[in-house]
Amino acid sequence: MSALVSRLKSWEGLLFVLLVVIIGFCIDNSPVYLGVGNIVNLFQLEVEKIIVALTMTLLIINGEIDLSVASVMGLSACVVAWMFHHGVSMPVSVLVALASGAVAGMFNGFWVAYVGLPSLAVTLAGLIGYRGAARILVEDRSYGGYPQWFNAIGQHPQIGPLTVSIVVFVILFAVVAITLHWSGFGRLVYVIGNNMQAARFSGVRVKLVKMSLFTASGVVSALAGLLYAARLGAVRGDMAQGFELDVITMVLLGGVSIFGGSGNLAGVGLSILVILNLRNGMGLANITGNTQTSVIGALLIISVLAPNMVQTIRNKWKGRLT
Amino acid sequence: MKKYLLAGVAAAALALTPLVASAVDGGKGVKMVLLPKFLGIAVFDQAHKGAEEAAAELKNSEKLQFLGPTPENSVAGQIEIVTNATTQGVGAIMISNNSGDQIVPAAKAAHDKGIKVVTWDSPIPTAEGEDVFVAQVDFKETGKVMADMALDILGADGGEFAVLSASPDAANQNSWIASMKDALKDPKYAKLKLDDIVYGNDQSEKSYSQANALVDKYPNMKLIMAPTTVGIAAAAKAMQDAKLCDKVKISGLGLPAEMVSYTMNGCAPEFALWSFVDLGYLSYYTAYALATGQVKAEDGAKFHAGRMGDFTITKDPTRDKGLRILMGPFSKYNKTNVEAATK
Repeated sequence: MSALVSRLKSWEGLLFVLLVVIIGFCIDNSPVYLGVGNIVNLFQLEVEKIIVALTMTLLIINGEIDLSVASVMGLSACVVAWMFHHGVSMPVSVLVALASGAVAGMFNGFWVAYVGLPSLAVTLAGLIGYRGAARILVEDRSYGGYPQWFNAIGQHPQIGPLTVSIVVFVILFAVVAITLHWSGFGRLVYVIGNNMQAARFSGVRVKLVKMSLFTASGVVSALAGLLYAARLGAVRGDMAQGFELDVITMVLLGGVSIFGGSGNLAGVGLSILVILNLRNGMGLANITGNTQTSVIGALLIISVLAPNMVQTIRNKWKGRLT
Repeated sequence: MKKYLLAGVAAAALALTPLVASAVDGGKGVKMVLLPKFLGIAVFDQAHKGAEEAAAELKNSEKLQFLGPTPENSVAGQIEIVTNATTQGVGAIMISNNSGDQIVPAAKAAHDKGIKVVTWDSPIPTAEGEDVFVAQVDFKETGKVMADMALDILGADGGEFAVLSASPDAANQNSWIASMKDALKDPKYAKLKLDDIVYGNDQSEKSYSQANALVDKYPNMKLIMAPTTVGIAAAAKAMQDAKLCDKVKISGLGLPAEMVSYTMNGCAPEFALWSFVDLGYLSYYTAYALATGQVKAEDGAKFHAGRMGDFTITKDPTRDKGLRILMGPFSKYNKTNVEAATK
């Protein structure tokens, strides 16, 4: 019993309660909420963001951040669009687009890991630079007309009622969970995030870990960009613009500290469910536009303030007692 | 006696025109969604007003839902709203499309589920997933109207001008610009030179800075033509703030209430628009008639839309596979009539 209480007092417990309340509201509000089609759509409408949130979780726990993810998504979509419309076959275009994501990620990683620049600055430059490259490729046009198999990946159920994008998310979630919580590499991610200097002095290969994480972030963002292109069936230069903030919101709401070193994937998983169900519930209740944005914004403010305030109050009480 | 005579004449007239459009019957409850490009734009609020007027006339017991995304989330937001409306199983969705063909998968899913998809203001370029497009004006004519206004303002000597549009993928603006380019081939407009086309994404700040950038880039430019109500107002403000109204004039498609001060002080001597209230009204009638099965979305179908009279669905001359209903006409505004139009 006391174990259960302490569980519920944790951040994940709080998110879980919040999730139950939101789902209760959704069920009560709309008879169609529980339909299989709606549950699939609920994930499908944000699937690219939640995929990128997985690698973002690794980076933030590691004490870094990648602001360029949405621009890399846009870049990979535009690379595919440009190549396909210049006569390159679709599979080759897809591979080159993924490679472009890897290169973008490595570029970020090089400046952060080997030169030692702050990731906030490096990836902000990436955000601008990769978006610029994407826009140069497609200019002000919209490129559609991809092969049917490509569009089907993003638009039609392929595995039971699920789309390929959702299955990709589930697999990646498992891979990231194992890497982060059950592997030596995952422990290094935490150790470096906690205290980079100490990790370096104990012989941890900090540079290699950071380089791998940024590269992974680049590749996964590029993959997400391709899935987004497949879902929409048409590509333009502003694809996924601004998505980085939604992705970071999901990770922070999941209880991952922006200063690195703490947080876990279960929290991020719950936070994803909270945000997705909240969006879907509000959509079905015909609440859209700025109201929806404000509610999710308020949720983030509370998520950042609440843990700190609780800590401050606790410390004050402790101070009084001793 | 006179009464009977009139009735007789009316009956004869009816008998002579067997293909008369039948009035749309109201009274049925149909869930309908009006989806603008995004919320917070005056013209879309006017369209909403017109749609509400039609909803009241048709005594639809289901409340009209006016749902839209935020400007920075327009594409993903429109797709989300169409998808959620499909899940809810509404009867009809009326879309002012801001997502180019990116909306197609969502619109098709709605259409496959039996939901009537009516576009208004801005259609789906390929017309896939769309039943019919309610066109505010003839898209070919828009280009000519813009070319004429440019000629009016620049005079017989002509000069250089540039276009400040909405987003690069806005189907309506793109086809107006294309039709303007076509119109410019007429020798009548030989002295008009189009320098550039830039995009302000229907955001005031972006349009404002794009207008200023045009002035820097083309020192001989004498006119900015903005076929968007956001762009024209932002450009007029930019020229007024820079005290350049004597040198660079503004024209295009604008809302009288937003443009009145610029027209009176000479920054934007002439502009044009149609009634967005009427557009919302007609879109609602169209969507309601389709959703209740009173009209089929096919070439030649006719119906009577309340106070606006008879309309016919025809093939869309600007899109290969599309059907459209043409509203029209244009109203041109200048110093003599703009103040009256704001009342």
